[in-house]
Amino acid sequence: MIRLNVNGAVHEVQAETHESLADVLHDRLHLIGTRVSCEEGECGCCTVLLDGEPATACLIIAAQAEGREVRTVEGLGTPDNLHPVQQAFVDEHGFQCGFCTSGFIMSSVSLLERNPNPSREEVAEAVSGNICRCGAYPYIVESVMTAAARMDENR
Amino acid sequence: MTRSEHVIVGRDIPVKDAAEKVTGRLKYAVDFGVSGMLHGAIVRSPHPHARIKSIDTSKAEALPGVYAVLTHLDSPGLMWENAWFNYRGEVLDGTARFVGDDIAAVAAIDEFTARRAAELVEIEWEILKPVFDAELAREPGAPQIRVEGNEREAYEVQWGDVAAGEAEADVVVDCDIRFESQQAAPMGRNACIVEWSGDRVTVWTSTQTPTEVRDAVHEALGIPMSKIRVQALPSGCSFGNWWVANFMLITVLLSRKCGRPVKIELDNAESMVTVKRRHLEHTRGRMGVTKDGDLTFAQFDHIIDNGGYGFKDDVGFFCVDLWGKAHHGDFAVHGVNTNLVTAGCMRAVGDITLGSAVERLADKCAIAVDMDPVQFRLRNQIQQGDELRMQHSRRSMPNESLEAYLASVPLSVREKWPVPFRLSSGSTQQILSEGAERFGWSERWNGWGAPSFSEGPIRRAVGVGTGAHVCGVEFEGNTGAMVRVNPDGSAKVFATAGRQGQGSETTLTQVAAEELGIPYDQVEYELGDTDSGPWSHGSLASNTMFRIGFAVRAAAADAKSQILTIAATEFFNGADPSTLRLRAGVIESTSGSGPRISVSELLGEIRSDTLGQTSSITGRSSAVPMPPATTFARHFACAFVEIEVDVETGVIRILDYLAGQDSGTIVNPKVMKNQVIGGAICGAGFALSEHLVFNQMTGAIRNGNWMDYKLLRTLDFPNKVEVIFGDSYDPVGPFGARSGGEAPAAAPGPALSQAVYNALGGIWVDMPMTPERVLAALGRF
Repeated sequence: MIRLNVNGAVHEVQAETHESLADVLHDRLHLIGTRVSCEEGECGCCTVLLDGEPATACLIIAAQAEGREVRTVEGLGTPDNLHPVQQAFVDEHGFQCGFCTSGFIMSSVSLLERNPNPSREEVAEAVSGNICRCGAYPYIVESVMTAAARMDENR
Repeated sequence: MTRSEHVIVGRDIPVKDAAEKVTGRLKYAVDFGVSGMLHGAIVRSPHPHARIKSIDTSKAEALPGVYAVLTHLDSPGLMWENAWFNYRGEVLDGTARFVGDDIAAVAAIDEFTARRAAELVEIEWEILKPVFDAELAREPGAPQIRVEGNEREAYEVQWGDVAAGEAEADVVVDCDIRFESQQAAPMGRNACIVEWSGDRVTVWTSTQTPTEVRDAVHEALGIPMSKIRVQALPSGCSFGNWWVANFMLITVLLSRKCGRPVKIELDNAESMVTVKRRHLEHTRGRMGVTKDGDLTFAQFDHIIDNGGYGFKDDVGFFCVDLWGKAHHGDFAVHGVNTNLVTAGCMRAVGDITLGSAVERLADKCAIAVDMDPVQFRLRNQIQQGDELRMQHSRRSMPNESLEAYLASVPLSVREKWPVPFRLSSGSTQQILSEGAERFGWSERWNGWGAPSFSEGPIRRAVGVGTGAHVCGVEFEGNTGAMVRVNPDGSAKVFATAGRQGQGSETTLTQVAAEELGIPYDQVEYELGDTDSGPWSHGSLASNTMFRIGFAVRAAAADAKSQILTIAATEFFNGADPSTLRLRAGVIESTSGSGPRISVSELLGEIRSDTLGQTSSITGRSSAVPMPPATTFARHFACAFVEIEVDVETGVIRILDYLAGQDSGTIVNPKVMKNQVIGGAICGAGFALSEHLVFNQMTGAIRNGNWMDYKLLRTLDFPNKVEVIFGDSYDPVGPFGARSGGEAPAAAPGPALSQAVYNALGGIWVDMPMTPERVLAALGRF
């Protein structure tokens, strides 16, 4: 039994000792927004925030996340009340198939929390650990720039 | 209706499923399950070519938690085929044709148990000699991989007389280029979930081609189509990977055998090395040109390896069409089976490879007559009304001449539609001219083989490339759609199309809403259900907007016509329905006088005895005459690039990219720009870094992961890309639209290749232009 703090709520989960955080989030907590793809930390689809820092959940044993704050895409906003980064991805078409989107959004949220006014180059750098096979990169960068501008206006 | 009158077509609206995607709620097949479901795993061949002498499943069956083991002895022995010969084979036939081939499958209580049991299946093999090289596989005495032989008749396109073209030429150039195999590298891996109910079966999977999956189950199991329902889920980026895959049919058989629902989920390695890839290709070509810059002939001999189960040989006629102004032509494509994983259509099949070879030779011609590459393309590429050279293929015109075919088309059809085999609209002309101006081509172009900037190890130069692709391929059945208008005035589109991120759920709905005159937010879609959606090939061959979009508009027009007919009787004193219109969900007279009736008022009321109560209206595409089963539409792309080469490291960087796209009316500009840029990045990946590495002894893929298979990332491509559109209007496509997804992947390779040639002072580098290859070309590696 492990105790995970996910999106501000504590979950007690029965998990195998070898199970990754990505699998526990996706399969046991049914937080399917944490997409599992390469399972070797290359694609970034399963990016979550651990104490605010982006991390590929496929490379973390679930038990290692005990005592840390885990944030997934489900912790950001709902379809009726999107987080500004999510809303900007909608408006700027910052995705195509959507499979990598949660990961890009989590990397972007982390960037904007650290650096609220990044340059395009800083955005590109911050999400360079995520792969978008559809090739929506320029619109992903655009989305983060739009989100930054909107969040700045509301501060 | 002119473009300026469009209400929703042409608007930059967010995609329909955007909120589901950004909140992580969209369900792909890997996220889907049903109660009582078992999990399956596939037993894979360790050998490239071998036959099962005996198979012992007893240890696997004895493992607690195992419900069934499926082997070739359970297979119905029927062949199934994927669209356009992308796959041909039995589900399991006891022969392995590549390392990782499907051999057997296990159903168990969970995935872990299923995978353990799969390892317990014991097989005694008869090892057969493998062949990995397509050219060796063509030789007499080569190991035969298939009962049909390794090679069938070549696909040939011929016009004029190449010998005469050679005589007309002032210069003849040639090439001999090998292309590596690109992998779709789908991020969203896939799963298939199957449940039988009596002798009826339901299949859930992520696919671009729902109806093709249904048809494949019908072929492979020999059961009626009426007993099969496919409910396609959205897929991750697919690029052609997820049409029908054999693992889906294995799931169907495995579920039938154990009498329980079964899910087989492929992991990332399985997705990368057991399903599909782009062909390895080898092109030898010659082209002739006059000193004025007119192409006199083009002659190409092209070999593609199909791997174990591919059956294709008809690639590349779109680049042939693009350069079809050449006076004489002769193209032959040979499809050859090898003991490598199956190859098939990947985005811009043929055009990213053979098309690049054609562009290379065109560039060599332009160099020979010292003509600017933009001017050379403007002079030699097809324009509206020109002949599509693919008509000269043996297969598109079997048993008859073009003249005889055209004479057989009824006059009523000939009058209504464009001339078959003549380009209906669009070209590269406008996007090349305007693109050159926006890019500042004439200022940045420094002549052939001349860098525009040179300092230390850095060389910079520009390049231009073009691509074309079909807008759906015809000859194999017609595409249908339905539009249902509900009693509350809302509407739903029923068609079978893919949702692999290209935005079909949005753009097809825009087409329906525009035609109906019902507000867009009242129109929804069901694109994955073969029980409700009429037949279509699905989203492949850039089929979606041109073919399915045509059908959706036709179905919407039929629904609207039925609504206006009822309204004319019930509310407009029997007026001629053509004097009524439906706009923003309201029916009114075109004169503006008389009542204004909403669709919900019309459908919600009990009316006269003859009409009864109409709770919904179903519009069918078949109510509207479809275009003849022939071809006339293409979409076009061009790329202007600036690159930088470090001649010490061999590393190429893309500094600037401008994309031009001619797809007729653009239904949703932002969706199309996303497609164009995504295509550019796919094509640039092919040109710069992506290639599968095969083990020389076993044919197994050695880099089936994203650490070793290099996909482009944000820092590898400009983060701002200008996209310009041509303003052509297609006479057939919905609201003048054609398709758009594939040509943009064909244009970057030639552009980057040409730019590197210039940067290196006149040295061609074959693709992918990895640092090693650049340095080798410079004699430094």
